[in-house]
Amino acid sequence: MISFIIFFFFAAVAVIFAAMVVLHRNPVVGALSLVASFFALAVMYVLLEAPFLAALQVIVYAGAIMVLFLFVIMLLNLQHQAEPHTRPVQQFLGYTSSAAFGLALIYYLAKYGVTKLPEGPFVSDARTVGIKMFEAYIFPFEMVSILLLAAIVGALLLSGRTGAAPPVTGENKL
Amino acid sequence: MIPTHWFLILSAILFTIGVCGVLTRRNGITIFMCIELMVNAVNLTFVAYARQFHQIHGLLFVFFVMAIAAAEAAVGLAIFISLFHHRHTIDVDEANLMRW
Amino acid sequence: MHGIDWVDVGLSGLKIAVVLGAMLNVTPIMVWVERRGSALIQDRPGPNRVGPFGLFQSFADALKFILKEDMLPAKANKVLYTIAPMFGLIPALTTIAVVPWGRPFLLPGGRLFEPIIANVNIGILLIFALASMGVYGIVMAGWASANKYSLFGGIRASAQMISYELSLTLAAVSVLMSAGSLSLVDVVWRQTGSFVLFNAIKLPAWNIFSPAMWIAFVVFFVSAFAETNRLPFDFAEADAELVAGYHTEYSSMKFALFFMSEYMAMATMSALITTLFLGGWDIPWYNEPPNALGFALSVLAFVAKVSVLLFIFVWVRWTIPRLKYDLLMKLGWKVFLPLAVINIVIVALFIAKRWL
Repeated sequence: MISFIIFFFFAAVAVIFAAMVVLHRNPVVGALSLVASFFALAVMYVLLEAPFLAALQVIVYAGAIMVLFLFVIMLLNLQHQAEPHTRPVQQFLGYTSSAAFGLALIYYLAKYGVTKLPEGPFVSDARTVGIKMFEAYIFPFEMVSILLLAAIVGALLLSGRTGAAPPVTGENKL
Repeated sequence: MIPTHWFLILSAILFTIGVCGVLTRRNGITIFMCIELMVNAVNLTFVAYARQFHQIHGLLFVFFVMAIAAAEAAVGLAIFISLFHHRHTIDVDEANLMRW
Repeated sequence: MHGIDWVDVGLSGLKIAVVLGAMLNVTPIMVWVERRGSALIQDRPGPNRVGPFGLFQSFADALKFILKEDMLPAKANKVLYTIAPMFGLIPALTTIAVVPWGRPFLLPGGRLFEPIIANVNIGILLIFALASMGVYGIVMAGWASANKYSLFGGIRASAQMISYELSLTLAAVSVLMSAGSLSLVDVVWRQTGSFVLFNAIKLPAWNIFSPAMWIAFVVFFVSAFAETNRLPFDFAEADAELVAGYHTEYSSMKFALFFMSEYMAMATMSALITTLFLGGWDIPWYNEPPNALGFALSVLAFVAKVSVLLFIFVWVRWTIPRLKYDLLMKLGWKVFLPLAVINIVIVALFIAKRWL
């Protein structure tokens, strides 16, 4: 009973803040709304009996990736750049096609979705995940670590300035 | 116990909002954030099915997806920063050198 | 709603009230300790006018904070400016929920009373997750103030915090490896009892006495200073460099919230250090009986250990000068991160050879 209330409340929070990301002009507000949405998703993971993954979601997504986004937005002063308005044709086509896609998806999921509830508890603690990771998934684990190294080196190379410095805008000369 | 297809519908709604954002907005950072939203919707689907069938492989896949999304965000933001330094605008419609 | 165990709910409410009361009272006590302690170190009297030994100084400070004018800079982003202090307070208050502060004992009705608010089996991950949230408070405070110095202070402080979070997490991993569980309750139970050294000295089985964890202790201890923005890592405030860093533009209750959250974060970090390395609520060389007396003694032991660590926080602040920012970042990435990883390997070796 109380898990239904929690589900509906946090589902509403996730959807509303996700909509704010798409609809609000200011990217800083968008980034912070996305953080709130990720928190609501972490609560969803707890409802799905995966608390380890909920903690990982907050640590990795809300605590690291979004901080990176916020740093980039604030250091480049992107909130002062006015985003030009999307052309009406693109807006109309974008909204209608994504609405059609979404409605089709929801319809088919509701029609053919699995309705039998699972029985028994779901053992998903860190020990089980760790054992499975180092038994069946050891190769992807090592590959992901090499991928992260490649990403670090790539990000460092890409963000080094190789030309003239950008023109300083009138306000907020840091 | 909450039925699994409710989680799938929530995931579908979040994915649709992400798709809508990618198609409609012109700010590069906002498009990145909508892509992250789509990836999270898919993560929710994985975890929902993992719980439904009591398979832990779904959780492991989410683990890897999170790691890859972190790497993608870092590199994508680095690309966006260098684009911003050269073009001095955040409008992705301005990055059109390779268009017809 | 049927099937709710009201006694359980009542006990949880009592635990929350006790811990919340303790955390909220940390700030006035620490303000007094800081001012008298710094005066002791700097060979001056310190506050001694307001009440005996200046004990009511904290009340005078609180009254001043409440009565000051609450300002809002003209160009500041109102919503973010207002909610930024809350982001600093929330991690400090919620992470104490997974720290055990006493020995579980049997109540008269046969029920086991566990003095921990939330005994989840991912205990310490919750602390790391909520500590990552503390970065947002600083970044938002620095940006929403519409002030160059605040933005600088905010970005430097948050970069420092996310760098030292890594070494904090990895240093804690070696303790968790030896305990075999992510829950802090298991970590403390592992440290009860004692072991004999050289067949002569009987030491309590605390993690700090085990040679595999010494590097981890040093790394964790120093990273705790960096996480709570205390000297020698206080670039967030950096008085004399950045005016007052990210909380330059804050006054009255909002500034008091930042102030309080810093002391509460200090108390939480001290509680975490005692739980991970100093044996938590364990009284050395004494087997506490599983009744109310053992519980009370263990709570006293926990509070004593946390108080000693808080005094060390104050002591270090007034003794060691501040590092230069690039040296600080080099220390975090090039020294502490490799040391923490090396310690994980050492602990793994000890566990494999069954020395641990």
